[in-house]
Amino acid sequence: MYQSESVIRNHYNNINDWLDQMTSKVILEKNAEAESHFRNIGITFSTNNETARERIIPFDLIPRIFTYTEWLRLERGVIQRAKALNAFLADIYNQGEIIKASIIPKEIIYKKKSFEPSMFGFSPPRDIYSPIIGIDLVRTGPNEYFVLEDNCRTPSGVSYMLENREIMMRMFPDLFHNNRVTPIDDYPTRLLQTLMSLAPIKCENPEPVCVLLTPGPLNSAYYEHSFLSDQMGIEMVESTDLFVEGKYLYMKTVDGPKRVDVVYRRIDDDFLDPLCFNPQSVIGIPGIMDVYRTGGVNICSAPGAGIADDKAIYIYVPEMIKFYLGEQPILDNVETWNCEKEQELKYVLDNINELVVKEVDGSGGYGMLIGPKSSKSSIEEFKNKLSTNPKGYIAQPLLDLSFSPTLIKNQVEGRRVDLRPFCLIGEHAQLSSGGLTRVAMNEGSFVVNSSQGGGVKDTWVLAE
Amino acid sequence: MLSRTAEYLYWISRYMERAETTARLLDVGYRMSLFPNPSGYNNEWESVLSAAGAIEGYKNKYNTIEQRNVEDYLFFDESNPSSVYNCILNARNNALVVRTSFTPESWLAINKTYQEILNLKEKKFTKSDLPDLTEWTIEQVNLFRGSLSSLLRNDGYNFLFLGLFIERADNSARLLDVKYFVLLPKPQYVGGNIDNMQWSILLRSLSSFRAFRWAYDGNITATKIADFLVLNNNCPRSLSFCIQNIVKHLNNLTCSPEKVGRIYNNLKDLNSKIQEEKIETIVEYGLHQFVTQFIRKISSVDNEIHKEFFN
Repeated sequence: MYQSESVIRNHYNNINDWLDQMTSKVILEKNAEAESHFRNIGITFSTNNETARERIIPFDLIPRIFTYTEWLRLERGVIQRAKALNAFLADIYNQGEIIKASIIPKEIIYKKKSFEPSMFGFSPPRDIYSPIIGIDLVRTGPNEYFVLEDNCRTPSGVSYMLENREIMMRMFPDLFHNNRVTPIDDYPTRLLQTLMSLAPIKCENPEPVCVLLTPGPLNSAYYEHSFLSDQMGIEMVESTDLFVEGKYLYMKTVDGPKRVDVVYRRIDDDFLDPLCFNPQSVIGIPGIMDVYRTGGVNICSAPGAGIADDKAIYIYVPEMIKFYLGEQPILDNVETWNCEKEQELKYVLDNINELVVKEVDGSGGYGMLIGPKSSKSSIEEFKNKLSTNPKGYIAQPLLDLSFSPTLIKNQVEGRRVDLRPFCLIGEHAQLSSGGLTRVAMNEGSFVVNSSQGGGVKDTWVLAE
Repeated sequence: MLSRTAEYLYWISRYMERAETTARLLDVGYRMSLFPNPSGYNNEWESVLSAAGAIEGYKNKYNTIEQRNVEDYLFFDESNPSSVYNCILNARNNALVVRTSFTPESWLAINKTYQEILNLKEKKFTKSDLPDLTEWTIEQVNLFRGSLSSLLRNDGYNFLFLGLFIERADNSARLLDVKYFVLLPKPQYVGGNIDNMQWSILLRSLSSFRAFRWAYDGNITATKIADFLVLNNNCPRSLSFCIQNIVKHLNNLTCSPEKVGRIYNNLKDLNSKIQEEKIETIVEYGLHQFVTQFIRKISSVDNEIHKEFFN
């Protein structure tokens, strides 16, 4: 919000005035109102313990604001990246030009667990493997953005983006009268259009039947699954609701079997089809891969799309953009050392005090080391881990994430934030006019993950 | 509509209805406990437990029947599948799965109820809180029912109401039966003052006391009350009203006419019989026999609905 010490950036003036008028009593009330709203609509984490109260993510009342021009650049950058990632998937599951051009070594791709051999030689509708991509960004300066991570499988968080806006509009309607905030509530409609535009070849229905496949109520993103299917007006199914007969996929309805054209799946590859992937899985649909490969149904995202967001592949995304699109990357990657390479491992071990070390397969802010913030003993522990299993880790410099004003005990304080906007690619490529801003609620913290004390904010993109 | 969605909707309203019945039963017990306990009558709390179908479960947990424990067992106990708490928990967990077939209002009604009962459960309640708990439950169930008016009148709506009326038919029948055979074991009391007092408590617990007064002139008699609760089509808790509504919502289903037809065939005898029957004939035949048969029939209709639509 601040340009430099205590100079407020123009587009935050309105918010500053608004904050000035609010007494601490009002702030407390509004915080309580937001919390009870989130509980009532059920936007909670489910826990395995049924009787325990479900947790909600802390919500900060102060929105994060992007100007139209700031957003335009992000939009172009994210769409560019999402296109390149899809082109990469189409390439490696077919000709493998990028390997032939010696840009990415083949062992990095083919040895990964997230590479799916059964996808080889098959092209999904429109060559789109990953129609919904969430890109995690951080800002380090007025015009400096870095991509931390791509999420090509089943990125979650979009329900928070929508509900955060909903609660803000409900609690502070005046804010929206006085500021020109681009609406985001058409996201579910656009998502549905995207899914329908990816109908399989054998689909005869002018309005393809889409379903959302969820692992069930114990999944931590279950709220999002039901929220999205509700907003799209499609069935939310579990795998027991689906079955394969002949060359098609059906759901069990009170009318009898009904054919399904597009499955927006929110379950992992391993649990899709016990015949193809994990024979131990009890939550798969036997035969669905066969139907998929013969064009009877589309699965979004495609099995094996996860290879594109692998932390070891991430390093090559700028190269992909140049190779497939012939463009210069608009958004930068964070400099990353791949510990699998001897030279880079050596650098990491020598400079570990300055670096952030992450597990290649880790997520949720677990299993990482923030060098400058860690004790000697945990640094030693990580050095050991690195030496014994170098290919399990990457390292990056500690970025000075931007701060965003945040209400902490009724005082406005700066807290670090990141941003996940959501990109849709089907017939068109488009970016949500906003995203999920996560905020590290603890003073001095760099970790924004909700599992580690992170909160969320409404994210505004101002209209032109 | 997914078969599983239909099944969950059906059970949501069954659970909500059951929560209300359990709460009302507690209210019956509470009212009775305020009157002197005449010899020849069973302990009112034991009757309440039997009516709730919870006597066995209760006896596994407690050695003696005491008001405080009965209240806790019927309202909050997690090991009692029909406790108000469990009914609300189950309804809410089902609603979580089918909120896509709901309006936000219906989901909010159930979820708020759930959030509140968690708070109630954490607080220690005292004996005199019971009327408040009952009132709270009835209020919550009414909120839920009211929210249903915002639903699309599609099959989901009809499955919700099928569940509601199947549950209510079963509950009303059981309450009638309990009154006759548990509360009043000795024939010489039949028709006496205590008998009538119990009938009127039963009416109150079915929220039908005033309605009964409006519908029937003169003295409260067992026959009149039986007529009211079995045959009166204006009474929203009577067996015949429930059957009529089961038939109505069944026929409103747009899915699978042949399935609807099969279930209807099984139901239509009961429906026409109950519409034409005279209460005197039923009493002569034996109210208990009649009610037992009725409960069996409702249960077979429930089985068929599961078999035809939810599998």
